[in-house]
Amino acid sequence: MTHHHNDYDVVIVGAGIAGAIMAKQLGEQGKQVLILEAGTGTDGRFFDQGKEQGYESYMERFFTAMAKIPNAPYPNNPNAPQPLVTDIQKPPLDKPVSDHGYFVQYGPDPFASTYTRSEGGTTLHWLGTCLRMLPEDFELQSRFGRGRDWPISYQELQPWYEIAEQHIGVSANADVQNYHQIDNPSVQLPFEENYNYPMEQIPQSFLDQYLAKGLQGMQVNIDNQTYPIDVVATPQGRNGMPRGDYRPVGAVGNPDLGQRCAGNSNCVPICPIQAKYSALKTLEQAKQTGNVTIETQAVAYHLAVDDNTQNISKVHYKRYHSSDSAAFEDKAVTGKIVVLAAHAVENAKLLLASNVANSSDQVGRNLMDHPTMLTWGLMPCKIGAFRGPGSTSGIPSLRGGAFRADQAAFRIEIGNWGWSWPEGAPIATVPDLIDKHGLFGPALRHKIAEEYPRMFRFGFLVEQLPDPDNRVTIDDQYRDQLGNYRPVIHYKVTDYTRAGMAQAKEVSDAIFQRLGVEPFTQYKTSDPGYVQYQGKGYVYNGAGHLVGTHLMGKDPKDSVVNRDQRSWDHPNLYLVGCGNMPTIATSNPTLTMAALTFWAADNVLNALDQY
Amino acid sequence: MYRLSDFYRLSAALTGYQEVELQGTGVGPVYCQTLSKWVRQDVIEALYAQAEQIGALDNDTNQARFYDQIWNSAKLGPVARNIIKMWYLSIWYQLPADWNALYGVDDFSADKPPVEDYVISSNAYIQGLVWNALGSHPMGAKQPGYGTWAFPGHTAKTHNLD
Repeated sequence: MTHHHNDYDVVIVGAGIAGAIMAKQLGEQGKQVLILEAGTGTDGRFFDQGKEQGYESYMERFFTAMAKIPNAPYPNNPNAPQPLVTDIQKPPLDKPVSDHGYFVQYGPDPFASTYTRSEGGTTLHWLGTCLRMLPEDFELQSRFGRGRDWPISYQELQPWYEIAEQHIGVSANADVQNYHQIDNPSVQLPFEENYNYPMEQIPQSFLDQYLAKGLQGMQVNIDNQTYPIDVVATPQGRNGMPRGDYRPVGAVGNPDLGQRCAGNSNCVPICPIQAKYSALKTLEQAKQTGNVTIETQAVAYHLAVDDNTQNISKVHYKRYHSSDSAAFEDKAVTGKIVVLAAHAVENAKLLLASNVANSSDQVGRNLMDHPTMLTWGLMPCKIGAFRGPGSTSGIPSLRGGAFRADQAAFRIEIGNWGWSWPEGAPIATVPDLIDKHGLFGPALRHKIAEEYPRMFRFGFLVEQLPDPDNRVTIDDQYRDQLGNYRPVIHYKVTDYTRAGMAQAKEVSDAIFQRLGVEPFTQYKTSDPGYVQYQGKGYVYNGAGHLVGTHLMGKDPKDSVVNRDQRSWDHPNLYLVGCGNMPTIATSNPTLTMAALTFWAADNVLNALDQY
Repeated sequence: MYRLSDFYRLSAALTGYQEVELQGTGVGPVYCQTLSKWVRQDVIEALYAQAEQIGALDNDTNQARFYDQIWNSAKLGPVARNIIKMWYLSIWYQLPADWNALYGVDDFSADKPPVEDYVISSNAYIQGLVWNALGSHPMGAKQPGYGTWAFPGHTAKTHNLD
């Protein structure tokens, strides 16, 4: 760790994946970098498995947690509070607000996604899905008259996708991921010739193989056009077998065997052997440059602006001593350049609290997620549920197409862990077998053995459009114990997305019928994510994909950053993270965010040359 | 005082696992202690005695007696069901307040407050019988190895079910 002073080349707010990539890239070029992280640190536990207070302590917390939710392993910290899925409620009809947990929700629909405020950020609990966006995802407005166009194209982002995939260590095969085997030109991806991922594709689960066989040749009809249904392996930021001499960073295990995924079936919320990528790996590389300092327990709360230059002159932060007490020191630091990498919601909050970068009035607006609808049932035979990574394949054939003029596109995720998401199986369901069905002894054991390996579920990640009314705001009434703002959220799921959910349900029904899956899907009106479309009910969940809030564009009047990811208003302020993305489309956003951040780091390096 | 041998014998009948399989988990003593922590000793003794009297559940008559005298007993049924859940899910579920008033340990003080449901220990989670029953492994532990998820799901052992 370098000496701590008060004047840096670059001050980065946030030690998640975006902040880590930025720091590593800058540190490698000899720039002096400070990262301010609101959450607690991991005290080097990533590379020190043996420590009592090390990574294993996260596992201990997870094992003994009653609700094994995404943030279960990661301690709640009242000085840097985080949203939890168990906090999500339907905003009450008679009152304008649901004030439960960290988010303050005004609805009309609940925002159901969460993130982690800790060193390593939400990559501590992500699934590792690393899909590229489709070329048409960058041009929704010009192609379909919906949403917005990006100020950059797929072709421009492509080299950065490659850098991000190499860095994360994505396991996949390019000749599979270009989707040329799918008879739908809209979804086909132009990969660079001879490009391949750093690691071989993770083996597809037995369930994936069963589905692929059963769905061969299947088509569905949307708006008088037929679309294929194809099962394709999903690229994953999880250690497979390395290609050539590629070696992933810092996983435990035998390096000659590729330090690979061992099938812990626990990618979300935590991979015990760290075979899955997390930003802690990149942070370690950043620290090894000798030029990057990470100050944890440091919550940035105000950006001061120089009136003459409009540059960000200081980053003010509260440095608390422990998560047990609200005592803090008020500190400030300067950097030639300031980079906000604190997360889509936290970036917006900080900008709003500082009243900066918002001449467009778009800060905090256009919050998007993938409302994720589930369907579940029992397969006619055992498909080996509850094994392997959370999802090893999906059905990407409906990620694009002409229908996007009228309804949302969606990606189908094939879940390997039975009914764990929709029903909490097995932990939450076995008590019913005993209490309600009176099963015990061999009959109980037999019932579990015969039924649970047949449990099956789909997840439909449905597209949402940028909507200025879906937004993060701040309100003096709502603050945390350090006196910082809590995010106030207004959110709704529009008919465009609901139509996509309805379409997804139809596709699911057709697949269930074709395969003889006994349906168990139930959308309860009491569920917080219950919505209706054309008289039918559906339920969405959060995907943890928080996008928008400071989106990039061509015009300073309707966007927050330019294509360089620099604030239109402040020459030395860069924003990174999913908040920059003008549309969410159908891919999990982390890979795209990582690619954009590598690009942004290049822009920051170029800008530093001017100082 | 608790009797581990009685606990194993009863647990085998309740869970459908052989005593030797239960012993192999290594968490039997902790479960036995957990039971004593929440249930009055005379109730536990009554449960063991009743089960002993009924004997093996290998015929309809014994099973009928089991349902009548243990499973459907307001006093013993909830304890029997909690023992099964403890073995399968590694969780102690709090019994209802009215049951506790009658049969729960009477010193719900300092170290024994009527707390919420809880996972007994991280090792207990790992040893939960449900994972073996469904033909897999506890999520986050006992990892089966690279690529094993591509194999057909193996059938949970059913040799002692007939």
